[in-house]
Amino acid sequence: MREFITSAARATSALATLSLWLAGIGLCAMTAAIAAQVFWRYVLNNSLIWTEPGSVMIMGWFIFLGAAVGIREGYHLSFDVLLYILPEKAKPWLHSLSDIAVGGFGAGMVWYGWELAEKVAGNKMASLGISDAFNFAPVVVGGGLIVIFSLERILRRAAGLHTARFGDPEPVEEF
Amino acid sequence: ERTLRSADTHPDGYPTVEAVKAMGKMLEEKTNGRLCIEVFFGAQLGEEKDAIEQTQFGVIDMARVSLGPFNNIIEETQIPSLPYIFRSPDHMRKVMAGPVGQQIKDAFTQHDLIGLTFYDAGSRSFYNSQKPIHSMADLAGMKFRVMQSDMFVDMVSALGANATPMPYGEVYSSIQTGVIDGAENNPPSYESSGHYEVAKYYTLDQHLIVPEVLVMSKKTFDSLSAEDQAAVKEAASASNAVMQDLWNKREEASMEKVKAAGIEVVTDIDKTPFIEAMAPVYEKYVTSDKLKKMVEDIQATE
Amino acid sequence: MELYVLFGTFVFLLAIGTPVAFCLGVSSFATVIYLGLPPVVVFQRLNSGVSVFALMAIPFFIFAGDLMVRGDIARRLVALAGAMVGHLRGGLGQVNITASVMFGGVSGSAAADASAVGGLMVPQMKARGYGVDYAVNITVVGSIIALMIPPSHNMIIYSIAAGGKISIADLFTAGIIPGLILALSLMAAAWWVASQRGYPTEPFPGLKRLGDLFLNALPGLFLILIIFGGVRSGIFTASESSNIAVVYAMLVTFLVYRSLSWHDFVEATKAAVRTTAMVLMVIGCANAFGWLLAYTRVPALLVEAMSNLSDNPIVILLLINLVLLILGTFMDMSPLIVITTPIFLPVAVAFGVDPVHFGVILILNLGIGLCTPPVGAVLFVGCAVGRIPIQDAIRTIWPFYSAAFVTLMLVTYIPSLSLWLPSLFH
Ligand code: NA
Ligand code: NA
Repeated sequence: MREFITSAARATSALATLSLWLAGIGLCAMTAAIAAQVFWRYVLNNSLIWTEPGSVMIMGWFIFLGAAVGIREGYHLSFDVLLYILPEKAKPWLHSLSDIAVGGFGAGMVWYGWELAEKVAGNKMASLGISDAFNFAPVVVGGGLIVIFSLERILRRAAGLHTARFGDPEPVEEF
Repeated sequence: ERTLRSADTHPDGYPTVEAVKAMGKMLEEKTNGRLCIEVFFGAQLGEEKDAIEQTQFGVIDMARVSLGPFNNIIEETQIPSLPYIFRSPDHMRKVMAGPVGQQIKDAFTQHDLIGLTFYDAGSRSFYNSQKPIHSMADLAGMKFRVMQSDMFVDMVSALGANATPMPYGEVYSSIQTGVIDGAENNPPSYESSGHYEVAKYYTLDQHLIVPEVLVMSKKTFDSLSAEDQAAVKEAASASNAVMQDLWNKREEASMEKVKAAGIEVVTDIDKTPFIEAMAPVYEKYVTSDKLKKMVEDIQATE
Repeated sequence: MELYVLFGTFVFLLAIGTPVAFCLGVSSFATVIYLGLPPVVVFQRLNSGVSVFALMAIPFFIFAGDLMVRGDIARRLVALAGAMVGHLRGGLGQVNITASVMFGGVSGSAAADASAVGGLMVPQMKARGYGVDYAVNITVVGSIIALMIPPSHNMIIYSIAAGGKISIADLFTAGIIPGLILALSLMAAAWWVASQRGYPTEPFPGLKRLGDLFLNALPGLFLILIIFGGVRSGIFTASESSNIAVVYAMLVTFLVYRSLSWHDFVEATKAAVRTTAMVLMVIGCANAFGWLLAYTRVPALLVEAMSNLSDNPIVILLLINLVLLILGTFMDMSPLIVITTPIFLPVAVAFGVDPVHFGVILILNLGIGLCTPPVGAVLFVGCAVGRIPIQDAIRTIWPFYSAAFVTLMLVTYIPSLSLWLPSLFH
């Protein structure tokens, strides 16, 4: 069991690193797009029309990718004051319940994000000319990663391995 | 007793909001209180694109939206959105009440929507902070904010100006500081957005006379009895008169207010060169025979 | 009943340590299922909530802040500020508030203000021996100033929600004095807390040293000039200014200071992604939660219940303030402006309150709501850039809340604070 989790964690770690890199590249691309918008309008006296919808779409990608990685690394904001007053034995159960809720929401992002994408697939996005379905792609992909990372958390905890606590800057151990 | 939820992005008191409220009252009477309408104004439930999706899925029952967000969904809606397609707001009303209007309403059905009635959004014209615009030469090189829509961007480019899409909330400050020279809108929005405080020249070229539409979710419509369906359609049509009356009053009041504030309104322009400049725009968007026929039908409507 | 599902799930998840974003998301998901509505709406609201161009200022300012911290711009700027005001108690707290006033003059977004000022000041204040909670609290409450000092797009939303009957120029002018009063009362609170905690003062380093520090900080000072001058002169819009901050920070740290290595750059980018993603995920999920509150008519019902309670104008204004503070605890600013304005404004006007004055009260009030738990975008930005748990921040935030609340009361009951300045232009 522990061995399986350890090797699975190597894969999820790589997945998280990849997502974070993609998100970082997205942030830089967004920076370049808006800088170009200012330059074109002010220096070339001409307006770029794709920069706004384009960078909004990129922002969607890095938010949902970043939010998913946050589940694995535990950097989301939370209040856990009430957990201090509970008996030690109850805590892992409640933490796992929380992970199930988060994973369920991730599953919702995949399922219903897909449903939304299907509905708007025939529409074209203004100024970009690509299908509107791409709007919901970050929701679907981010949701999928949230499911995977939530599952990892539950399994790690069950196997007695360290799991990142939300609001705790201590990083997850790598294998 | 059932409350239908209707979304609108305009604020409370706006003609479309009041018209749908009036429709609700009529509906309540017609159905002996079985159906009533609650209007969620001011984009409480989301922007127009979101309201359309929510109505398609049956999350909410109705939405009042402009045709703009439909342009990339239903091609027929592009025709009334074409620049200078209507000669006047009256011409638009006549066309939308006729067979072309019916053709567009019918097109909604395949997209899980029922087109109930078309409302009025007046006519959009250019305003700016620099100079009065009398001819196309005056427009050359000026920067105008337009809605994020390919057709409107192409329209402004064809007129020789620069289209600068930006969020509505940033327009006031951007005109004030000179990021853009102006924007374009109908008189009530020009007034209520306060843009007239910073853009003193308003040229009534009426380039866009785009109607708005009240749609119902097909899910909701199908769940009603035939009798109630008829009541909904009747009440919607009847609300149009309420809308028109409120709109005219509002437009008049707005024009009075901006004139009192010292705005220079330009009315005496020759629109012919503006209309001629639209040839490439029509060529790009009026592609199929069906759409060409619609344009001809509109032009033939007296 | 659906409200029990919504708030019950929310509170339960919050109590067991679920991230705030997911508390909002899951409780909305559960409620939509309970209501029998198609659940797609929750995920549509989530996506729409983050697909907003104006939000882009948050990642950009956070990114710029990370680059400036790692590339040494921030330290030099704060060293200069520290030398100038280090002999005052809590000097950097005062600098932080002054920065918010200046920043408020170009941006109308409190979250952008908190990202810009916090990203720069919080790590430096920490490094110079101030408590992180102190730095975060000042940043958070200080950023309300950006809403009050023009430009303020929320004032525009208010004017439109009121049917366009109110001059935006008047509203913009009316916010200036209340914004400055807020700044002064926060400075007093910052001074008081610094004295209580015994934050050290530094001796004045002399003009020679000050001159050196000034030259050292010059490229950083140029950034402030570019942002301020760029927006004021119409080269770029307020949201574009955040982007220029990033580009400028990259140029200076790579080319002028040569202080940013590739590794630093990658780390700054990753840090910005982490901070931004956690804040914007909350904003997206809060959009779904807020949709449910609007759909179930919570704000309207609360407001209606309240407007029948009293006919004393002082009591009515107090009740309006209270209801807005409660609603602001859960919902975001712009939907609350559009929902409450048509209901509250006629009530206030009936009691002789000027609509311009009411706008200032409303914005200040909802601005405080952005800083309060459980849902406060600005509070979350502050905690994210300071990397501290929310409870650590709110444990010591009350002197700053009090300062903001006192300002709110002054602004509510002394109309001339808002109305005098615009009256000079008529
Ligand atoms: Na401001
Ligand atoms: Na709050």
